[in-house]
Amino acid sequence: MGSVFKGIGKLGSAGLVLEAILVSVLGILLLVGFIVLRRWYRARYFHKRNQHTVALRSQWDEILSGKIAAENWRFNALDCEIVESILLDSIEMSSADKLPPLLDCLRVSGLLDMRIYEARTSRGLKQRTALLALGRTRAMEAIPALAAGLDSRLRETRIAAVRGLGRTARMEAAIPILDRIVAGRFDAPERSLKNALVNCCRSSPEVLVNYVEHTHGLVRELLARVLGELASPELGEQLLVLASDVLPEVRASAARALGHTNASYTLPALHSLAADSEWFVRLRAVVALGQIENIGKISILLRSLCDTNRHVRQRAAWALARMEPQLDQILEDVVATKDDYALQAFVSELERSGAIEKIISGFAGSGSHSAETALMEVVAEARKRVELTGKAAAAVAGAH
Amino acid sequence: MHLLAISNDTLFIYYALSNLIYLGLLIVAIVKNVRHRHRLGSQRLELVKASPFTPPITLIVPAHNEERSIVGSVGALLGLEYPCLEVIVVNDGSDDATMEKLRQAYQLQTARILYIADIATAPLHAIYRSPLDPRLFVLDKEAAGCKADAINAGINAATSPYICVVDADSILEKESLIRIMAGVFADPGRIMAVGGIVRVLNGSRVVNNQIEEVRLPKSPIEVMQVIEYLRAFLVGREAWAGFNMLPIISGAFGVFQRDLVLQVGGFRTHAVGEDLDLVIRMHRRLREDHRSYHIDFIPDPTCWTEVPTDWRSLARQRARWHKGLIDTLWPNRDMLFRARYGRVGWLVLPYMWIFEFFAPIIEVVGYSTILLALISGVLSKSFFLEFLLFGYAFATLLSIGSVLLEEMTFRRYSDWREVARLLIYCLFEHFPYRQLTMVWRLQGIWQYLRGDLQWGSMKRVGIATGADA
Repeated sequence: MGSVFKGIGKLGSAGLVLEAILVSVLGILLLVGFIVLRRWYRARYFHKRNQHTVALRSQWDEILSGKIAAENWRFNALDCEIVESILLDSIEMSSADKLPPLLDCLRVSGLLDMRIYEARTSRGLKQRTALLALGRTRAMEAIPALAAGLDSRLRETRIAAVRGLGRTARMEAAIPILDRIVAGRFDAPERSLKNALVNCCRSSPEVLVNYVEHTHGLVRELLARVLGELASPELGEQLLVLASDVLPEVRASAARALGHTNASYTLPALHSLAADSEWFVRLRAVVALGQIENIGKISILLRSLCDTNRHVRQRAAWALARMEPQLDQILEDVVATKDDYALQAFVSELERSGAIEKIISGFAGSGSHSAETALMEVVAEARKRVELTGKAAAAVAGAH
Repeated sequence: MHLLAISNDTLFIYYALSNLIYLGLLIVAIVKNVRHRHRLGSQRLELVKASPFTPPITLIVPAHNEERSIVGSVGALLGLEYPCLEVIVVNDGSDDATMEKLRQAYQLQTARILYIADIATAPLHAIYRSPLDPRLFVLDKEAAGCKADAINAGINAATSPYICVVDADSILEKESLIRIMAGVFADPGRIMAVGGIVRVLNGSRVVNNQIEEVRLPKSPIEVMQVIEYLRAFLVGREAWAGFNMLPIISGAFGVFQRDLVLQVGGFRTHAVGEDLDLVIRMHRRLREDHRSYHIDFIPDPTCWTEVPTDWRSLARQRARWHKGLIDTLWPNRDMLFRARYGRVGWLVLPYMWIFEFFAPIIEVVGYSTILLALISGVLSKSFFLEFLLFGYAFATLLSIGSVLLEEMTFRRYSDWREVARLLIYCLFEHFPYRQLTMVWRLQGIWQYLRGDLQWGSMKRVGIATGADA
C-alpha cells in the first residue's frame, strides 16, 4: 500500500486527492469489515455460550454441592464466566438463609479469590468489572478489596468501588465510604455515594446519625439526605435534634424521616418544619404530613395550601384531597382562605383523585343549586379574579 | 478565472472542515456512548421507581388531526413505567375525529380544574379528565396554527416540576421515562433539560402500542431517514451534549424543568422549529444568569416516531426544519461571538450558521463554480471527478461510522440482513439523497424569505395495533 501512495504522490495535488479517496475507501472497507467480523464473532460466541450454559445448567446441583469438582469448569474461561454469572444472579435474588451454599461454591472454587486478586491488581475496565462482581457476592471478605478501590487515582474506579460496596448491602461496607467522606478526601458522584450508603445502612441508620452530628457543610448535607431516606421510628427523638439543625438540608431530611414516625412529637415537629423559611424544607414537611395518619394535620396543610411556592401548594393539595371523610369541610375551608391558587391546586387534586364526584353528591342534598353548578361558580369566580390580577402574578407564583 | 479558483478552494476547505468536524464528533460520540453502555450495566432503575421522592412528571402531547394514532399513543403513554405520572393531551383545534376518538376511548368527562394561563395561549374550550385513568387530562383548545401554542397550554395545566413533550405519533418505550429521569437525578441541581433518542418507527412491528420487533422500513426513503436519525442523535447530539453545547432537544421527546420553561416564556408561538428555539433561549437565559447548568442528551431512553413515507412530505418536513433553523438563528444572532454566551456563542451557533444554515447555499454555489471552472478549463476533469469522489467517500465513511456506533452500543437492528441494508443505503445517502435534501433546504430558505412560515401537512400511515406499522 505504501508504494501505491508513493506513486500517487508524484501526481501533485491531484495525487493528494487520490490519496484521500483511497484512505476514505480503505476506511469504509475497514468499518464494514469490522461490523461484519464483530457480528460473526458475536453470533459464534453466543451460540457456544448457549451450548455451555445448557450443559452447566443440567449439572447445576452437582456443581453447587461440589460433587462435580471445580477443576472441571473453573479453568475453561467461558464455563467459569457462565458459572459465576449464574451464582451472582442467584445471590442477588436469594434471602439470607439461602446464601451459604452459593457463597461456599464461590469460595471453594476460588472464584471469589480470583475476583479479589483482579480488583487489587488489575487496572481499567477489568478492575471495575471485578469490583462490581465482588459487590454482588455480598461476601464479607470482599469488603477490604472494595475499600482499597476507593483509593484509586481513577474516578471511574472509585465509582465502581462505591457501587460495589453498596451492592454488598452490609453495614460494614458503609464504614470505609463514611470514613473517607468525613476525612474530606473523597471525590465521587453524590448519587453513587447516596445509593451505596442507602443500601448499606438500611438496617442500621443510627450509624449515620453519629456521622451527621460530627460533620459539617456539604458532607453533612449528603449524609443527612441519606438519613432522610432511611430514618425509621427507632431513631426516636434524635430526629428532633436534626429538625432544629442550622442546615436546611438537615432539617429537610428530618422532615422526610418524621414522615415514617407516628410519635407524639411528630405533628408538632412537622408543624414547625412546614413553616420553615426554606421552601424545600416546607415541601418535605408537607410530603411527610401526607404520609402520617393524624387529623390534626389538616390545619397545617391548609396553611401550606396557601404557600408562596407552587410545589408546596400542590403537595399540600395532594395530601388534603386524600382525606376523604373530611373533604366537604376542607373544601369550605379552602374557599374561606380566598386564595385562588390554593383553590386551583385543591380542585385540581380533587379531580385527579376522583373525589370531586363525592363532594358534588354531598352538595346535592344540601341546597337549591345543582351541586355541580355551585362548585363551578366558585371555580369560575376564582378564575375571573386570577384573570383580573393579571398573568404576572401567576407567573411569579410558580417561581418562589 | 481567479475568482473561480478562489471559490473552488473555499469549497474544498469548507467541505474538508465540515467532514473533519463531524469526524471529531463521531470519535467523541463513540467514546461517550461506550462509557455510557458500561455505566448502564450497573444502573438500578428499580431504585428510582421505588423511591417516594422520585419527582412527578407531566407528559404533554400536542395533537392536531391525529385521529389515526392518538388513542394508541395515549394508551402507550399511560402504560409507561413511572411512579408519578400525569398525561395531558392538548387537542389543538383538530378538524378530524381526534377529540371524538379520545372521548370514546377514555370516556372523557368535563373537569372542573381552574386553569391559570401563565403563558398566554389560544382560548380553551374545555378540560376533560378520564374516569378510566385519573392521570389523563385532555385540553380542548382553539387552533392557533402552531404546535408551540398547544404545548404552552399543556405547560400551563401541568402540575409537575418536570415536563416532557411527546409527539402524538410517537411511541415511548416502557422504561424510557425512568431512564431519561435517571439522567436528571445524576445532578438535579444542574441538569435543566434532557433529550432522549428518537428512532424511526416505520417498518417495526407494534403490538399493544409497544414495539414488538424492530425492523427496518422497506422503502429507500425511510431507510435513508433511519441513517440520518442515527447520525444526528448518536453522533451529533451525543457529542455536542458532552461539551454542554446541545443546541436542540427533539420536540418528539425531551424533558425540561417546568419553572425554567416558564421563566423563558414557554415555547415561542409561531416559531417554526419550536424545540430548537426553546433550547437556544434556555442556554441564553442560563448563561445571562451565570448559572451552572447542563443540558444533556442520553442515548438509551428511546422514542419511536413515524417519519415521512413519501417524497412530498419529506420535502415539506426538511424545508420546515430549515425554516425553523433560520427562524431561531436570526433572532439569536446577538449571541454570536459574545463572551457572556461562552461556548454556545463561540462554537455551536457559528457551526450552525456555517455548516447547517449556509450548507445548501455553499453547496449550490460550489457545484456551480466547479462546473464553470470545469467548462472554462480552470479545473481539470480528473481533479473534478477525484474531488467529488473524495467528498462522497469521506461522507459515506461518516455515515457508516454512525451505523458502527449503533452496532457497538444499542444494536436495535439485530438481524444481520438489516444491518447489511443499512450499510448499502449508506452508499446512497451522499448521492443522490443529499443533493435532494439540499434542494429542499433551499426551498425552506426561499419560503422563509417570502414569509411563508406554514408547517405543511405530512401524510401519515398511523400506528397500527397488533400489526405492522
